[in-house]
Amino acid sequence: MTRPRLGLPDLGVGVGLRVPHYRRVFAERPPIDFVEVISENFMLGGGRPRHHLDRALESYPLVAHGVSLGIGGPDEPDATYLARLRDFAANTGTPWVSDHFCWCGAGGAHLHDLLPLPFTPELVRRVADRARRVQDAIDRPFALENTSSYLTYRSSVLAEWEFIGEIAERANIGLLFDVNNVFVTAYNHGIDPIEFVRRVPHDRIVQIHLAGHTNFGTHVIDTHGGHVIDPVWALYRLTIELAGSVSTLIEWDDDIPELEVLLAEAERARSERDRALAARQAGSTSVDDRAIAAVREAARPGTSERDAVWHGWVQGGPREAAE
Amino acid sequence: MTSPSELQAQMVDFLRRRGDLQHDEAARRFAEEHLGGNERLSAVAQLEIYREQFWLRHTGSLVEDFPGVGGIIGAKAWERLVEEYLLAHRPESFTLRDLGDRLPAFIAGAEWLEERDLAGDMARLEWAHVEVFDAVDAPRLDPQKLAAVPEDAWEGARLVPDPGLRVLRFEYPVVSLRRKLVEAQKSGASVPLPEREPCRFAVHRREHLIHHDALAVDACALLEAIVSGAPLGVACERAASSLGVAPEAIGEKLEGWFADWARRGYVVDVDVVVS
Repeated sequence: MTRPRLGLPDLGVGVGLRVPHYRRVFAERPPIDFVEVISENFMLGGGRPRHHLDRALESYPLVAHGVSLGIGGPDEPDATYLARLRDFAANTGTPWVSDHFCWCGAGGAHLHDLLPLPFTPELVRRVADRARRVQDAIDRPFALENTSSYLTYRSSVLAEWEFIGEIAERANIGLLFDVNNVFVTAYNHGIDPIEFVRRVPHDRIVQIHLAGHTNFGTHVIDTHGGHVIDPVWALYRLTIELAGSVSTLIEWDDDIPELEVLLAEAERARSERDRALAARQAGSTSVDDRAIAAVREAARPGTSERDAVWHGWVQGGPREAAE
Repeated sequence: MTSPSELQAQMVDFLRRRGDLQHDEAARRFAEEHLGGNERLSAVAQLEIYREQFWLRHTGSLVEDFPGVGGIIGAKAWERLVEEYLLAHRPESFTLRDLGDRLPAFIAGAEWLEERDLAGDMARLEWAHVEVFDAVDAPRLDPQKLAAVPEDAWEGARLVPDPGLRVLRFEYPVVSLRRKLVEAQKSGASVPLPEREPCRFAVHRREHLIHHDALAVDACALLEAIVSGAPLGVACERAASSLGVAPEAIGEKLEGWFADWARRGYVVDVDVVVS
């Protein structure tokens, strides 16, 4: 039995709202429970982004997700950024605001990436202290997301689930649990993804992210550029069985498909979620030993190589361009 | 013992380097000392993933925002320009939207660039597009407030420009050129570069679309002075002085211009100094 999820609602199954889908989403209002937007794309002012944000707010509950806070970097969070984020959150009524367990730059430089943190007690203290202050500054529940990572630090002494769990407890914030990121990190660093899902503090999970990734054989990159793979669906069901009904979101930021494809992925999430909730209700599981073994096998490097072309992508997909 | 902050600062330095870190001895030593690596990817190869992504992400963002500049100077010069720009100006804003804010000035100083003046004009136009695209929305000019301005207050009044307005002078016809270049990028056609032909434009966002309104020399001079924040009387004098005409010559046309600018939404408010 989990404790109430920080008093935050289960919004159902949603999708990340991205530029190529604006026209059809606003015109057709497909049956999505909620949408998530990238805060930074709408924090600046007006014009078409503001217009599209207003259209989204007319149509769906909306949650705000950030990619630029860089909470674990050497520099303190930018006060102007936080003030803008607070105003944005107030204007949209987002029930919570999220960002990532990461750092984005140092000495004033911003690399626009979600760089992984060393899992050390010092960084636990740094991030927890700032997370508490961010939550106060934005005057709204705050959550941090586990990131995908492609490197590890020799100085890390904690498991990732210990690191994020300890910060969440100390700062009294929520977790945005990205199940695909668990798989990506497990594949890249030889971690057991099942253990990760089992050990994370389930009562703090306020939202789940699901996405596709790109496998380069030697490593996996979290491109958000394809379908959620079956092992990640199994990890998702396991998470739901352990955590209960949690708002779930499909992210698709690279090679963005037709809206129908994205909606079908959201429907798949709904169906997987229902299956896991039914199992949880019945005191059984939808992720049996065979499924667990399959997940572990898939997360072993070299088991699912395919040709992939390396090109840049942006977390949150393309921003809206002037013309 | 390297502190986390020192480690991060060093990483930023490596991630901004241009060449593959796997061929960089200092990066290899840093990675081996601080990063894990594994049997598939060495520590420096892991670091290289992030370095490569830094360059792909930022060059991609500049390509999106400055297609006209790229079209003018060609792929090879564009690659050099972007590389030198990103090495000279590290990204500092939380949003990629601001990445190109210093590109127009950087181009002005890039003496090696063959089409420097034309590319500089284009960069100023394309940066104006970025700025006006998501500039703060302002309410339209209130006719009642306008009517209430006392006759003798106009000289000291400041006309408040729409945040989505930029007034630009160009040496080359970059507005039409950009249209052709963007079109040619889809069709693969080549576009001849134009001769020098000075022109002036108000780049203005209306109904979420960016408009390019050609400006006469005198109207441009006045609008520039107004946008700079000068009170109306001073703006008229400044415009007249720059044109070498009497202030009355500007004053005669003011009413017509003002009506046009108010209709288009260039002016969104009037600040009257209360004595």
